[in-house]
Amino acid sequence: MSQENLFPKETNFSPENEIPGIRAKIIGIGGTGLSLVDGLRFDNFQSVEHLVMDVDTRALSESIAGEKLSFGRRHTRGMGTGGEHTLARKAIEEEKDVIRKKLEGIDLVFLLAGLGGGTGGGAAPVVARLAREAGALVFAFAPLPFSWEKSRHSMAEECLADLRKFANAVVPLPNDSLLQMGGADATALECFAEAGRNVSQGISAICSLVFRRGMIDVDFVHLRKAFNRRSGRTLFGYGEGEGEDAIRQAVRELLLCPMLHLPDVSRAADALLILITGGTGMGMAELQQVSTEIREEFKAGEHIVFGAHVDENMGDRVQITVLGATDLEAGLPTADVAPQAREVIAAVPKSKVAHPSKLTKQKKNISVQKVPSSARNRKKEDLDQNTFDFMEEENQRGIFGDLPSRNLYAGEDLDVPAYLRRGVKIAI
Amino acid sequence: MSKIIGAVEIGTSKAKALIGEVAENGSLNVVGMASRPNEGMRKGEIVDFRKAAVAVHSALEDAEKMSGTTVDEVYLAQTGSHLKGHMLRGTASVASSDSRVDVTDLQRAAQEAKRKQPDQGRTYVHHVRTPILLDGRIVQDPVGMIGAKVDLGYWSIDGDDQAIKQALHVISNYSLDVKDLILSSIASSTMMAGPDLRRAGTLVIDMGAGVTDYALYRQGFVVSTGVVPVGGDHVTGDLSMGLRILEPYAEKLKLEHGKALPDPMDEGEDVWIIGNKTIGDRAIPRKAITDVIHVRVVELFEIISKELDGLLDPNELKGGILLTGGASLLPGVEQIAGKILGFSARRANFPSGIASELAQPENATVLGLLHYGLEDNGLPGPKKEGAETGFMGKFRKMVGLGTQE
Repeated sequence: MSQENLFPKETNFSPENEIPGIRAKIIGIGGTGLSLVDGLRFDNFQSVEHLVMDVDTRALSESIAGEKLSFGRRHTRGMGTGGEHTLARKAIEEEKDVIRKKLEGIDLVFLLAGLGGGTGGGAAPVVARLAREAGALVFAFAPLPFSWEKSRHSMAEECLADLRKFANAVVPLPNDSLLQMGGADATALECFAEAGRNVSQGISAICSLVFRRGMIDVDFVHLRKAFNRRSGRTLFGYGEGEGEDAIRQAVRELLLCPMLHLPDVSRAADALLILITGGTGMGMAELQQVSTEIREEFKAGEHIVFGAHVDENMGDRVQITVLGATDLEAGLPTADVAPQAREVIAAVPKSKVAHPSKLTKQKKNISVQKVPSSARNRKKEDLDQNTFDFMEEENQRGIFGDLPSRNLYAGEDLDVPAYLRRGVKIAI
Repeated sequence: MSKIIGAVEIGTSKAKALIGEVAENGSLNVVGMASRPNEGMRKGEIVDFRKAAVAVHSALEDAEKMSGTTVDEVYLAQTGSHLKGHMLRGTASVASSDSRVDVTDLQRAAQEAKRKQPDQGRTYVHHVRTPILLDGRIVQDPVGMIGAKVDLGYWSIDGDDQAIKQALHVISNYSLDVKDLILSSIASSTMMAGPDLRRAGTLVIDMGAGVTDYALYRQGFVVSTGVVPVGGDHVTGDLSMGLRILEPYAEKLKLEHGKALPDPMDEGEDVWIIGNKTIGDRAIPRKAITDVIHVRVVELFEIISKELDGLLDPNELKGGILLTGGASLLPGVEQIAGKILGFSARRANFPSGIASELAQPENATVLGLLHYGLEDNGLPGPKKEGAETGFMGKFRKMVGLGTQE
């Protein structure tokens, strides 16, 4: 093996990081991933490590992340891949062992990779697979190129499908939606910053759940149970409210969040994570009501992770973050990952050991997922049979997301709202 | 003796059934009409057979009840993005010794044109005849004229086997025969553009819920047809996503406040989603609604313009552009169509004599089905009775799936 394989091994060994308990790692891959990781402000979570990897050594040297891994030097001589994701894939496959080492003992992996580029698109699915194999729960945040960047966009779609096979939840962040963010005259910089803030928000919500003690507490086992083996369509959104009616305002803003209104986002979640963070004045009744409302809005299934945290610094502000995932028809995890994922449950030696009931439930779930294609619909039908049947019907009409084929015309999917593809800002 | 004929359109938002009585003098009387919301359909194609069948059957049942009669055969409208049109041409040299064109010459030419088999997994839906050329000149009826060679073409539309079979099964499950499959766009143009308009040249655009059909006529004949899988549902979907509201509210806003053309008067004005100011109700700027719709409608006409590239000739399109279909009710669409396609566009009017409750743009296709069935679309020449009527008569079957089933 070449020299660069030895280099990171040495610098990586840092005993002070070996805190027993949950370890999380934020991994940025490629140019977009790098800048996202650099944009994160995560000083208050000690057991969250940052790792960036890229083929472009110069970009890597400018990053402020704690750990860096340069790969593929043999192929690109330290330059970028120029959009060739096959090249990146080949390069990363060669570094498998190094990455495995870096993932050792990590329970939670956040993957940040722009799928439009070569490095992000090619390497992210591989890293996700390795992380999954190492027993980690993988959440991926994946910026997608504008839909008018046709060839890049279709490449990104392929990579996204790949990534979905391995990650527990993939939150796509299409650049198309950037335009819908911020105020009417938001600058490009503000929009991109907003996108970064979204990622940051998602990660911090999950981290708070796992690492902080809250009023209504959940821990990593809950999270893993809810999101284990799920990959597919996700939903992600957050809202913030301030003042007297803060919590209602936050719900309102959450429901208006542009991230929840994208063509690829599912309307219903089989697994849903809700985190409400507020100041000391947050009312219990409100909390209860809001959580019910959100659950109904997303027709959450049996896997709900609900956490409420009090943060004195919040004052009279309230923040709500939701992250959900649906069992996917096509994106069934491949066989080589599945057995490992099952082992993981049994192997978690935490306080709340998976007791028998949990295991049976999990098994049932697996069997449901093995039913091909229509599994998702059928499952939903069972759930909604008596309750939300009519709502379901109403919501599906005209939403073309559940149709199997895409409505392609000259490289554009006509079912995606025209205003998103044409970059027209809708001010509401 | 009068004759009862039926027409069925399995539309994306509604399934419609129409029953007409043809009097002996050839005049048509609509005696039964029913429409049912159809949830088994997306973008002009059946996705849930059972739901589609239930909708069609109950519409047929209601129409039969209303008319007090039963039908045995229906004309069925066919649409969906799987349909593709091609021009097929056939030539025959005049056989008779005195060089007079005979009906058999035309038939030979027609046979040759239709000889080309569709690709694997595709079926012909509809053959529409284009002008007959006698030695290179366009003639209305060459029979009896002197010439050496007749040339005729068919604008032939083929579609996906499965999709067509599904539609046919919906009808046959009601123990009805499909007399003929007719392209939706041709059915609605028959209704909305009279013979004189078609002769002047016109483009008829039928904007439905799931798809938009168009048919371009020149000198009375079809030049091109097409289906764009974008319709009113897309506008609703866009609104729901763009304004972040539920589907039913988006539909309501579209119908009540939807406009395709930005209006400076709307600046700063808001509308309420639900209107009763309950929880969850919120105000939305009119401008946002219009913006969302505008982009979608502009794109739709841009696609049509691209598809018809080079076919829109000012000298051949004196009749302008006619818009019909439920989605054409959106204020402002005609201006946008006119601007993007470069011809004057207007909402089509029904010919007089259609009852006002029927004369809705969304009924254009189903009404057109009956009228198309009535019209003579066969080859010119003296009509023969007997064996030929199946092929040549007034209610002749088009060669296509209708006869094979």
